[in-house]
Amino acid sequence: MPLEILLVLVVGGIAGITLLLHVTGRSRLRVLTKASAQKDWLRHFPDDDVIDVTISHDCHSALIRTNVGAGLLWSFGADTVARHLMDFDWLEHPKGLEVQFHEFGVPRVVIHLDESERRHWRHLMEPA
Amino acid sequence: MTDQVTFPDAVQWAVPFFIAAILAEFLWISIKGRGGRYETRDAVTSLIMGAGNIASGFLLGFIAYAFFMWLWQITPLNLGTSIPVIILCFVLDDLRYYWVHRLGHRVRWVWASHVNHHSSQHYNLTTALRQTWTYTFTFMMVVRAPLILLGFHPAMVLFVGGINLIYQFWIHTEAIGKMPRWFEAIMNTPSHHRAHHGRNARYLDCNYAGVFIIWDKLFGTFVPEQDDDRVDYGLVHNIGTFNPLRVAFHEWVGIWQDVKQPGLSLRQRLAYCFAPPGYSHDGSRDNSEQIKAKHLARHPEDRGTPGFEQFDAKPPNAQAERA
Repeated sequence: MPLEILLVLVVGGIAGITLLLHVTGRSRLRVLTKASAQKDWLRHFPDDDVIDVTISHDCHSALIRTNVGAGLLWSFGADTVARHLMDFDWLEHPKGLEVQFHEFGVPRVVIHLDESERRHWRHLMEPA
Repeated sequence: MTDQVTFPDAVQWAVPFFIAAILAEFLWISIKGRGGRYETRDAVTSLIMGAGNIASGFLLGFIAYAFFMWLWQITPLNLGTSIPVIILCFVLDDLRYYWVHRLGHRVRWVWASHVNHHSSQHYNLTTALRQTWTYTFTFMMVVRAPLILLGFHPAMVLFVGGINLIYQFWIHTEAIGKMPRWFEAIMNTPSHHRAHHGRNARYLDCNYAGVFIIWDKLFGTFVPEQDDDRVDYGLVHNIGTFNPLRVAFHEWVGIWQDVKQPGLSLRQRLAYCFAPPGYSHDGSRDNSEQIKAKHLARHPEDRGTPGFEQFDAKPPNAQAERA
């Protein structure tokens, strides 16, 4: 196949499919509840015992306290990703907190928190 | 031995079909309200990974091809290009695919390339295109050497490899349940391959087949999809990025970070490169056997069921009591 035709097909195909998915509502972030966050955490870490769950006001992040320490679960497209809060840094962010995991495949997470939530979350994220 | 043999690049010619099939699957899911799900950034990442795979073929493919042509120069055998030879080449190349794929899950160096194919939490036709950019660095092209030394022309070997990949495209779907029984018995199907993409303990390290599922049945790695254990797609530890560069290279970076830790022995550094994924020198991570064992500790009723056959049907304490 001539390279220029292949290029048009690939670029056009990706652009077209992206547009189609976006306009049909497939870009929505997963909304978390306490129950769904707990269920998702156990999906990621089935050996853990969940003690309690704190959901951010935008319902896209959850701080999970478990028998092995605190963890963060967040919406990732239509799904979730989770990590124990063991090897991480956090920074203040205009929208809340930014958590940086020292992991190439999980670079950073911005947690949307209002003023009242920030202090509480910072406290919960401190190592026990 | 030199001669001019050319075969079309089947994967390139299949691109319009890939696009049409993705649109058809999306339409089907939208109309029926079942049979899978799509997410914009996940799908775009998969499609870009597919485009990057073709680009990496243009940029690095010459390395494998030069190696194959060198083998072709030294082999005294030439089986020609008749239809039966092409069919035989296809079947043998599928056996080659099985073993490369199995190594891709059991050797971290090869997993570093293959992991991105499993990095989506979705399972639809775009997932099929979420392909590696770094296959050349695994040196798995050497597994094709016997085929060329047996007298299969390199162009034919690459052609049947392309057909193999095209076959595997359509099995990345939840829109198809089970195929007819005879087909499920011989061929790799959406059902078999869904199980392969599962991160459930039961489905770890199973169903490596490309086209013929018989290889898994032959070599003891077949696990049928279970109605009572719905496949959960993705990685044991799912990545948190849609950035194609991070998707493509995250496991290579992980290997580097592990290997350069201070205080490790040479054996431990090599194990971080070549042991099964999940190896750690301090026992802080779990490999698939350990994940299965932990699952059975939580769910002893699964002992001896598909995917857990390597564990005795009776729990260890029951065996001790029996003894």
